[in-house]
Amino acid sequence: MNPADWQNHCPEIAPLLVFYACGEADEKETALIEQHLSVCAACRSQLAEEKQFQALLISQPQDADLLDATGILLSQCRSELAENLDDMVRPPVLEKTPVFSAFRRWMALRPVWSGAALVFVGILAGAQATQWYAARQNASPLDLAVDVRPGPHISEDQLSKMAVAGINFMPATGAGTQNVRVQLNAEQPMELTGSMANPDVKRVVMYMVKNGDRFDPGMRLDCLDALKEAAKDSEVQDALLAAARKDPNPAVRLKALEALRDSTSDDAVREALLDTLKRDTNPGVRVEAVNLLVSSLEKSDAMREATAEYGLPAASRDNVASTSVGGDAQETSLASVVRELELLQHHDPSRYVRLRSAAALRQLSARGDQ
Amino acid sequence: MPLPRLAFALADESGQSSSSNAALASGTTLNHLEERALVQEAQAGNRLAFEELVRRYDRDVLRLALNLMKRTEDARDVYQEAFLKVYRNLHRFRFECSFYTWLYRIVTNVCLDHLRRRQARPEDQAPELHPAHYEEGTTDFFERQKEQRPSADPERHLMGQEIQKRLASAMERLSPRERVVFEMKHYQGLKLRAIGDALGTSEETVKNSLFRATRKLRSQLGELR
Repeated sequence: MNPADWQNHCPEIAPLLVFYACGEADEKETALIEQHLSVCAACRSQLAEEKQFQALLISQPQDADLLDATGILLSQCRSELAENLDDMVRPPVLEKTPVFSAFRRWMALRPVWSGAALVFVGILAGAQATQWYAARQNASPLDLAVDVRPGPHISEDQLSKMAVAGINFMPATGAGTQNVRVQLNAEQPMELTGSMANPDVKRVVMYMVKNGDRFDPGMRLDCLDALKEAAKDSEVQDALLAAARKDPNPAVRLKALEALRDSTSDDAVREALLDTLKRDTNPGVRVEAVNLLVSSLEKSDAMREATAEYGLPAASRDNVASTSVGGDAQETSLASVVRELELLQHHDPSRYVRLRSAAALRQLSARGDQ
Repeated sequence: MPLPRLAFALADESGQSSSSNAALASGTTLNHLEERALVQEAQAGNRLAFEELVRRYDRDVLRLALNLMKRTEDARDVYQEAFLKVYRNLHRFRFECSFYTWLYRIVTNVCLDHLRRRQARPEDQAPELHPAHYEEGTTDFFERQKEQRPSADPERHLMGQEIQKRLASAMERLSPRERVVFEMKHYQGLKLRAIGDALGTSEETVKNSLFRATRKLRSQLGELR
């Protein structure tokens, strides 16, 4: 660039002169300015003015010199500060853990990794704490329910709100009587711990099973595990039947049926099993209902009597129907089962269900022949 | 003289002669400590170390406050508020910057808060300082003697008064940030990068503030040059 070109740079150079005059132009700017000043008298003049102005400013007495020329104000400020410090509570002392502080700094600079690490640590800690707590509960000689807070009984209102807020359900693992810890995150957080003997725990777990659409299927399956032990209880049985009939998840319905295995002699349970045979949309659930019905009938005295008298399975559907008229409740039940099995054998859309129904009828017949 | 100052501080703090010898000894040692060690001592709860830190910087802090606030009461408030904040938050200082920068960050924030509050209340504007006013008895006796020397040039003296009056008036028209930047650059002698660190902003922003402040002041004082 020749000197003539440098003369045309006044608009770029002029604003930089303020900083050049006080030593704040960087190397590149300084080189540009000095090149330009060597050929531009106007900018040299402007720089001189700028320097003069800054010298004028600096030469003026400052307010600080006028307001505290003797330093008395500074001494007063120091004394006041000392008094204020005396009155103050001692500030927190720095943690002397450089490793920890380095870790905190690392976390601050890597939020994503930190979040993932915290979640991982939380899961680990949660799993360990659950096991530890369960072991501690199981080791206790008295299987008493511990209701931590707030009140001794959960109201219907709390139950309905609990569904909105969500529930963490963690069945205890290990040997001994199964304990359950339920953490409710409703308006007022609470934690319930105990077995199915605890009325509140039982109510919460039954509520979850009965209201399948509000809770996670995995939680409902855990609930069924817990309820299985108390399946003989009429309230629990009702909850299991409700789950078997209405739960939207087939795995939950299947598990509810399994939980009712020991109660199949009960009429209400048989009714539910028959209902499942007729209405359940899932073939696996229907097959489980078939299995349960067969096993229940095998155990029944009525079964033996019926098979001896009517010669199943050679008996036709009409025969079974005719024998059921005027018979006792068990006979009626048997007839219904056989009728449903025959229907399934011929009309069920699932080949597996048809086969299983036919096998069940053969099984019943074989038992009846003995 | 750091030693007598520290000894005075100790007497203020404890008021007991029995402990002052040991404390004085530790105070003397503190005086020679590197800044980092001093800060660490203060963070560990050593009050003497904190007071030594205060004494290293409070003169400049008060100057900045006086120049910006232009009233002793306001400057005194800024001083107290700033150092009490430093004391309360010292455990959070992690040596990611120099202690000086960290301290100035607090001080400038306190100053800016005060200036902004004052700007929001026009009735609370600082009175303009007139040198004549000082000569009537409010300034130091020795300051007045200088101007009464036979060699003093009356015309230059009057011009100086006029410039100072206009400068004070022009400074009042700057925004709080422009005032702080201008003050820290020209009267505290800080580099723009350090000012940016203290204000928690970029060097470019500080440059812009300085440029605007200079332009405004020059236009205000133009005819006197």
